[in-house]
Amino acid sequence: MDTEKLIERLAEVVEPVRPLPRPWIRTAAWLLVAIPYIALVVFVVSPRGDLISKASEWRYVVEQLAALATGITAATAAFAMVIPGYDRKFLFLPVLPLAIWLGSLGDGCVEDWIHFGPDGLSLQPDWFCFPAIVLVGAVPAIAMAVMLRRGAPLTPHITCALGGLAAAGLGNFGLRLFHSQDVSVMVLVWQVGTVFILTAMAAWAGQYLLNWRSIIGTNRRSALIR
Amino acid sequence: MAMKRQRDDHALAKLMQAAQGGDTQAYVLLLKEITPRLRQIVRGQHRFLKIEDIEDLVQDILLSLHAVRATYDPRRPFMPWLMAITRHRLADAARRYTRRTAHELQAENLPVTFSDGGANMDTDGYRDPEALRHAIRDLPAGQRDAIELLKLREMSLKEAAAASGTSIGALKVSVHRAIATLRKTLIKES
Repeated sequence: MDTEKLIERLAEVVEPVRPLPRPWIRTAAWLLVAIPYIALVVFVVSPRGDLISKASEWRYVVEQLAALATGITAATAAFAMVIPGYDRKFLFLPVLPLAIWLGSLGDGCVEDWIHFGPDGLSLQPDWFCFPAIVLVGAVPAIAMAVMLRRGAPLTPHITCALGGLAAAGLGNFGLRLFHSQDVSVMVLVWQVGTVFILTAMAAWAGQYLLNWRSIIGTNRRSALIR
Repeated sequence: MAMKRQRDDHALAKLMQAAQGGDTQAYVLLLKEITPRLRQIVRGQHRFLKIEDIEDLVQDILLSLHAVRATYDPRRPFMPWLMAITRHRLADAARRYTRRTAHELQAENLPVTFSDGGANMDTDGYRDPEALRHAIRDLPAGQRDAIELLKLREMSLKEAAAASGTSIGALKVSVHRAIATLRKTLIKES
């Protein structure tokens, strides 16, 4: 088709669109969906009995805040990645809270090793973590996918990895509100391991979730049919 | 120079903002304004491409812009937004091109000369026009007419059907049978 003709056809099908809000505003909108859902899951499963006493333990608070901050910053970074022309430095937003989260858990492992020797680092199976994080992170992940698809699929894998990290990070935050597992090495391997596996799966799914082919195909068809 | 560029970007941003509001005229103006620039960028980065391939890429970028026009923030400059889309679409095109060429077989010397065995097919083996003429003459009338009209006079099926007064289907059957008969006769003689 002639380019001039394509321009005319695109103009014929152009409809008013509302510009996407800025990434942090979209993050706030996402949290408005994610946080009530997580609260509902925690309420239904029933919060851990020692939650109030845990809230005064600095390590637990730091880990929870770092997990929450990782989720929020990863979401902001993901929303920035789907806007053309945004600074790619946004990609590194979750690095600091993630480093604090991992650092705090690593510090816990060292402390356990000093106090209990090699027994402090022994691993037991905790298969509950994976489905629980998937359950808590499901609605945040779906909301994230829907919101990301409104943007431009510039970097599908990285964007979806950030989206996955955001949902799984929040999932882990929710999990620790009802799952009494605080041994650092167990949290690091089973819970953070699950977060990383889900992040990798989201990165892989990026090519299917975000691609130019599907969004341009629809426009090309509507431009050609008229 | 920088002032001019800024003014230019401001004008494009205004047009884009109007287009986001559904203003058809502004959208046409914007697309017509940016198309030559896109063409220049594509040509600059892919000098080896043919004109139609360049035009395909330009159209791809225009369609991409159309699809994600909601991602433009009117408070931000227009050209960096457009350039980001262009850069990614060109990178995608380069990846597609690499994938496609990876499956192509490059051959310097194809067997195209008569001296090369690979270029000489079996169909070229029989070269006796007199025997062929006899074989055609001996065909049944319907088959002979079909061969004469379609192969010797090189008529189209429609023309041959009109000239012979038979249907296109009947002609196809006749010519198919005639060729089979000729092949058998000529192979037997040789």
